[in-house]
Amino acid sequence: MAQLFTPAATTLFRVVIVLMGLGIVAIGVTAYIWARSDSTWNVGKPAPQPVPFRHDLHSGSLRIDCRYCHSTVERAADAGMPSAQTCMSCHSQVWVGASVLDPVRTSFTLGQPIEWASVHRLPDYTYFHHAAHVTKGVACETCHGRIDQMPKTVKTQTLSMGWCLDCHRDPVPSLRPREAVFAMGYEAHGDDLPNDVRAFYREASRRLTSCNTCHR
Amino acid sequence: MNSDAQAVTSPVAEVPLSRRFGVVWWAALAVSGALVLLLGYTLLSVSILGVGVWGVNIPFVWGFDLINYAWWIGIANGASLFAAILVLRRHDLRTAVNRFSEGVALFAVICAGIFPIFHLGRPWLFYWTFPYPATFQVWPQFRSTLTWDFWAISTHVIVTSLLWYVGLIPDLATLRDRARRRTSQQIYGILALGWRGSVRHWAYHQRAYRLVAILVLPLILIMQSTVAFEFAVTLVPDWHETRQPLHFVATGLAQGLSIVLLVAVLLRWGLRLRRYIDEGDIDLLGRLVLASSLVSGYLYLDEFVSALLADRMAQEATLSRMSGDYAGLYWTAIVYSIVIPQLFWFRAARQSTIAGVFVGLSIGVGIWFDRFSIIVGGLQIDYLPSIWRTYSPTLLETGLFLGTIGLFSTLLLLFARFLPVVSMFETRHDEHREKSS
Repeated sequence: MAQLFTPAATTLFRVVIVLMGLGIVAIGVTAYIWARSDSTWNVGKPAPQPVPFRHDLHSGSLRIDCRYCHSTVERAADAGMPSAQTCMSCHSQVWVGASVLDPVRTSFTLGQPIEWASVHRLPDYTYFHHAAHVTKGVACETCHGRIDQMPKTVKTQTLSMGWCLDCHRDPVPSLRPREAVFAMGYEAHGDDLPNDVRAFYREASRRLTSCNTCHR
Repeated sequence: MNSDAQAVTSPVAEVPLSRRFGVVWWAALAVSGALVLLLGYTLLSVSILGVGVWGVNIPFVWGFDLINYAWWIGIANGASLFAAILVLRRHDLRTAVNRFSEGVALFAVICAGIFPIFHLGRPWLFYWTFPYPATFQVWPQFRSTLTWDFWAISTHVIVTSLLWYVGLIPDLATLRDRARRRTSQQIYGILALGWRGSVRHWAYHQRAYRLVAILVLPLILIMQSTVAFEFAVTLVPDWHETRQPLHFVATGLAQGLSIVLLVAVLLRWGLRLRRYIDEGDIDLLGRLVLASSLVSGYLYLDEFVSALLADRMAQEATLSRMSGDYAGLYWTAIVYSIVIPQLFWFRAARQSTIAGVFVGLSIGVGIWFDRFSIIVGGLQIDYLPSIWRTYSPTLLETGLFLGTIGLFSTLLLLFARFLPVVSMFETRHDEHREKSS
């Protein structure tokens, strides 16, 4: 009977075993890096929108307050999206004939909402309350970034659970005084908070990291 | 290899190498294959629609899924414990039944593993129970039975497959030498890891085989106890008992042995291996089944006595399991796993193929009813009367259970065809010893 394997087969077999071991490690490392990369979390990736709305223009150049459009952000879980009436309060006067605003006018006439594509969508098993954050000193900018400089709205943070926990475990350095919550470009360092607030949030991390704070 | 050895092992080796598969084998494979399809269907529906398609609801968060998990684990544990003891004691019986026991154990673990994974509701996220550096920056809850399941099952799969594979290596080499086509020679050759049968190879092999067998012993006790602790650590009155691990280990052993007996009897008849699994082997196996069933009987008695000595709530809960809505399950378990095996006091029954199949199935069925009685009947009396209700499985749960039986038998049928079911090297060893003495 002819030989099944050449003498080199043993070496080859050993090399394959070592390569398989290295391959498993490589898969682990790749998965680790991939799971943390911005592209996996769609950071910096704009969604196709019905109207080419520009935050840099409205919020940046025109300095319209966030709450003018996202009117429930201080009161409800949802920040709120503006109705066509809100848009038309200016756009009945400016850019009246612009075709890019057709969906807004249609929405206004028919009373149907504009179908914006969500950029910051959390999973439905996560409970997030805008007012709970905003009224306690978490600024818009902390999670949404320099929205006043964005021609197209994108995520600047992963919004992963680990990212949420970074702050929930130690909220003080990210908190701002109330008057700076809607400001852009403010450097939060926690030192400008009253002492009792800082003491309170140093104690709060146990409550804030309980499972049912966010998963109800 | 000399011609004597070839004569001894050729019928065993010829089965996997033959190109003609009998009609019965094809029919059995067709039935099992259909059940595997059913398994796929039920798993797909539970993955797409969620665990709501099962009959489980508070307080019955564990229904058929955990019943069948505990049951399959019992089979796996009993079978591998049996195999390991035979290897360690160099018992004569090991020649004949070791390989089946190892195969049965491995396939049963695979079936067992399906249930806790799909019980998660989002089975594709099962790896969340593993402590890896996740982006959600939270460790798994180590006090949760889900993580215990993860460690228990993965350890069990690794050790059981090692025991099975290490034992198989010399036989894979024999198959390589017998194979007629070059591709099968090469496949068996790679699987045999370059086995040449030198004395050094044999010495290493014996050491490795016994080392893995020793690993099995504590593993089995820990594994079965882990399943039992999942019940014992809860506050449910009927489950919250320290005797729970003992009950699971002992009844699981009876169940594992009975399945080994069942498979041994069926293979002996189906593959005409009377010469390799002789009457003495079957008789010994029958005695072991009888003894383990008596131990289970003792534990049932212990359960009753412990209940009488327990506090009022636990007492009521256990007695309600014996006389309440689900009393049928309890008594069925007693009849099938304790009463019927008493047939094996008679030598004629131990020798008979039909009685072997009957008793083997009966203990398997009995222990299944025992797990059902513990998991569902045990929840009948709890501290909150508002959750006193009943559970029954939906069609999809039943289908899932039948599906795992199909998967088990499919794997067993393929195993019987493609790999030597009786350890050829051990058989040769025994025959040589007989000749020289």
